[in-house]
Formats: sequence, structure tokens, C-alpha cells
Amino acid sequence: MLFLYLPILTLIVLSFNETKSMSVWGGFSLKWYEELFHSRLMMGAIVNTFSIAILAALIATVVGTMAVLGMAAMKPRTQNILLGFNNIPMLNADIVTGIALMLFFLMLGAPRGYMTILFSHATFCIPYVILSVRPRVNKNTDRLFEAALDLGASERYAFRKIVLPELKPGIMSGFLLSFTMSVDDFIITYFTRGAGINTISTLIYSEVKIGIRPSLFALSSIIFVVALVVLLAVNIRNDRIEKAEMIRPAL
Amino acid sequence: MGELIRLEGIVKSFDDTNVLNGIDLSVDENEFVTLLGPSGCGKTTTLRIIAGFEKPDQGRVYFEGKDITDLPANQRPVNTVFQNYALFPHMTVGENIAFSLRVRNKSEDEIKKKVADALKLVNLKGFENRRIDQLSGGQQQRIAMARAIVNEPRVLLLDEPLGALDLKLRQEMEYELVRLKKELGITFIYITHDQEEALTMSDKVVVMNEGYIQQEGTPQEIYDEPVNAFVADFIGDSNIVSGEMVDEKVVRIDGVDYPCIDGTKEGFPPRRRVDVVIRPEDIDIVPYGEGLWNGTIVSKLFIGVHYEMLVQSEHGKIEWLLQNYDQHDVGEKIGMYVDPENIQIMHKPKSEAESAMELDI
Repeated sequence: MLFLYLPILTLIVLSFNETKSMSVWGGFSLKWYEELFHSRLMMGAIVNTFSIAILAALIATVVGTMAVLGMAAMKPRTQNILLGFNNIPMLNADIVTGIALMLFFLMLGAPRGYMTILFSHATFCIPYVILSVRPRVNKNTDRLFEAALDLGASERYAFRKIVLPELKPGIMSGFLLSFTMSVDDFIITYFTRGAGINTISTLIYSEVKIGIRPSLFALSSIIFVVALVVLLAVNIRNDRIEKAEMIRPAL
Repeated sequence: MGELIRLEGIVKSFDDTNVLNGIDLSVDENEFVTLLGPSGCGKTTTLRIIAGFEKPDQGRVYFEGKDITDLPANQRPVNTVFQNYALFPHMTVGENIAFSLRVRNKSEDEIKKKVADALKLVNLKGFENRRIDQLSGGQQQRIAMARAIVNEPRVLLLDEPLGALDLKLRQEMEYELVRLKKELGITFIYITHDQEEALTMSDKVVVMNEGYIQQEGTPQEIYDEPVNAFVADFIGDSNIVSGEMVDEKVVRIDGVDYPCIDGTKEGFPPRRRVDVVIRPEDIDIVPYGEGLWNGTIVSKLFIGVHYEMLVQSEHGKIEWLLQNYDQHDVGEKIGMYVDPENIQIMHKPKSEAESAMELDI
């Protein structure tokens, strides 16, 4: 635990350091935060990172969910083969995926930039969505779907009212997984981005080469705190729901 | 009471496996029909074809004389109580029951009233706002019933609805089902592998095996006059033995001649090899030498109401199964008598489907 959190703590402390030095404490200051919010470069990278993550996760979730539903109608053998293919990209080294995608875009002559990153991220997220939604599509969902039809629902109504709510937890976790994978990604972005476009990770990488600025510490600190707050909020909410359920049956 | 549903020559196979090999079945209005058979006999597939979840490869399904073979499930006037209830887990009890009413755009007032009525009918008044996972198995079963009947279907299909309940609850629900059937006045088509359920509740029992209907009839007919070894074996305990007709209305079993009531007129001329069923409760114990044949008791088991005994015949190889209220000791020599009426003569099985099942032990 100490080894996990000590570096992060160091980072947060240094982000408030007055001087640029990493070893000398020059006093408390918010100047790096100020610099961060005034840097077009950094703000651009932040916007890129999160907009790509949200869009890629959305695309991957929709495509992945549709793929799962399509697969459900196939023979078990075909499904297994497809699942095997689905697993390969996840096990494959990012660098291979990255270079392959880069070559693919070069071959197509597509100008590399925002769209190619988005496409690549959506692509490598789809297998994760499939993996998290698929367990939800099973005999049970079939049966519920049939029950809805039996009660007179049209296929579309049965899907919307019965099947989708059943898949929702899988779809949600697929979306969140895709989102974090996309935010986290460096290698694939690095190979598929064009000149002049940066995400947080590629920006940090290029900054490292010319000497890292403490405003990046500030950025990292903010990301860490946001993640922490979200995590705590989710946990507290789950706790409340659980407690509510503990009380309810007694009524 | 007219005919409501008719199946004609239904054939169905899944991936080269024949599941149904030509099913003809007629169900009358307001009848309680049970499809009975071991797992894999095709009873569930038959039900799914009636519900509209499967299309037969051959044959037609008629409802009130109209061909509904190609009518999708959501347009058929039948509702199903599924084996594992298939209640919608993200909805409350009330929403589950209201589902078929909402689909039909009924007014909220009407929905509320009908849901309350349905819950009252299954003795779960006031359960509207419960969540599904707060219910016991028996309660879920009742909710599944309520959901299926709230829209007043003409036919209710029940796919082993009591299979997941324990014995006591199951027996209770059998009475409940019969009561519900009376109150609703609709047709029930019920599926089970439990012969007791079938005999207790049904107007008509249809015994199936390996995709064929083996026998159709009232519970009494099925029990007293099984047409082949499979039916005899599946419905209750029985002694199924080989025999040969030796004279008009006389059958020889294991070296002993027994008078019976079947002869040439019934299709069993002398010298014909036959199967014979004698129910264990129909064999009376009499003093040694005074019955039709004699034997020695080799084992005895007390099963609640009666004793079950195995008796080794002294004339041949057969061990007879007997059920009797009186206590006799192991090793006792007894005489046995069976009324001619209680000897059921059957044709030898022509196929595997008609034979008694081999138990996998």
C-alpha cells in the first residue's frame, strides 16, 4: 500500500510546490494549477482525451451489444469461434494493434487525427463490451423474452421493456470499462494520432522529452482526486442501497 | 364442450434429432389435459408448438377450427406458466401482472383493478409492490399464474409449474390449480413427468414417450388399462411380466395358468406371446396353497400407509412386488390370488418407445 500511494502523495505535494525543482520545497503555491488552466495545449489534450473516451465508449457499447445479440441467434459452435476471435485483440500486445491500425490508415490514405484515434479506440474497446454484455444474454433472457411475447408484447416492445433492462448492468460495465481503457491508452493513440493532436498521455510523453513541467503534476493530481471522489460516491451509494434492501423485507 | 385445439400430424426435429414423430391430439373446451412423460419425450416441445414458440416441420395446429400454425406467439389466445416462472426480475409483482394489460393499452384504473383481482384469486392480496426476489418459490409460482390469467386467455399452458416446489407445497398447489381451473372456467394444458400430479388433477392424461403418444385416456383408464409396458411402468408401480395365452381367456405366466378376461375377441388368441401387468396392490395374500400360486417373502419395506414386499415365486423365477396393509414376515410362505379383472394383457412392445424404461443405476 505504501509503495502504491507514496508516489501519488509525492506527486500531489509537488504539484503545490512554488519552485520547479523536484527536490526543493519552495513554498505552497497554486501557480501550476493556474498554468494548467491557461495552457491551450493542455486543456486541448484534456478535452480530446475525455471526448474521445466518451464517444469511443458509446460507439463500442452500441456495436458490442448489437454483436452480442447477433451472436445469440447463431449456433453454439459459431458463437465459440467468434468468441475466440473476440479474445485475440485483448491478448494481443497494444503495440501490435497500434502499428497495425497505423498501417491500415496509411493504406487507406486517411488523414490521421481525431477521427482515427476515435475509430481505433472504439475498435479496441468492442471486445471488452462483448465480454461484459455476453454473460447477460443467456437462457434466462431467452425465457423472459418468450414470456413477454406470450403475454402479447411485440418483439420490439419485449426487447425494450424486458431484454434491455436485463442487459443494462452488462452494458453499463462495458461502457465504463471502455471509457477507462480509452483514457488510459497511450500506445495505440501514439501510433494513430496525427501531428498537432494530443491526448493527456501523448502530451505527457512529449513533455517528458523536453523536461516535465509541474503543471502536469497538477493535472495528474486532479485526475487522481476526481477518480477517488467518484469511487467513494459509488461505494457510499451502494452501501445505502444495500441497507435499504436489508430493511425492506422486514416491512 | 366443443373441440378447442387440435394438433394434426405434428413432426419436429432439432439438428437431426427427432423430437416429435407425428402427434395427433385434440383438446376440448374447458378440459384439463396433462401431457405426461419422462424428460425428452417431446411434451415440452408439443407445448411450445401450441404456444407458438416453435414451428412444426410438418403438421398443423388448429384453434377452434382455424389454422394457427403460422400465427406468432404474441397473437395467440393462450398464455403460459413457465417452468421457472420467467417473472421479470426488474419489475414489481404488480408490474409483472400488469404487463399483458399494458401491452394492450388498457386504462390505469382497469389495470389496477384487474391486478388486484388476479392477486386475490391466487391468495396473494396486497402483494402489488413486492419485489420478485422477496418472494418464496410458492409465491413466485402464484404470481406467474396471476400474470398468465389476468388477460383471460382461452387456454392456459403450464410447463411443469410445480417442479421446483417441495412435496407439501406441491400437493397444496395441486388443489389450488384445480380450484383455479374451476373458477376461471378455461382450458388447462399441463405438462409434468410426475404421474401422481397427472392422475390427481386431469380430465385426460396423454402419456408420451420418444416423440409418440403412447396412450390417451382418463386417469382411471390409463392406470387400470395401460396399453403397453411403457405406460404400465411409467404410471405407478407394477409387475410387468412375460406370458403366453394358452387358451381362451387363460394366460400362462412363469409356469402358472391364470384366468383373465381377454381373449381372441380382444386381439389375444391362444399361443400369442404377451406382456402382462398386475398392479402390486391387486395381489391378495391368502394362506399357503389356497391361492393361484405360492411364494416366499424375501424382503419387506414399510412405506407409510402399506407394506411393500418382494415375493419369490416357487413355480418359476419371477419375484413379485406386493403391496398389502397386513404385516407378514420375511421368510413366510404365502399363497397369492389375483382377480381375473386385474390381469391386464398387453401386446409385446413393437418398438423401444413402447418398452418399459431401463433404469440407469
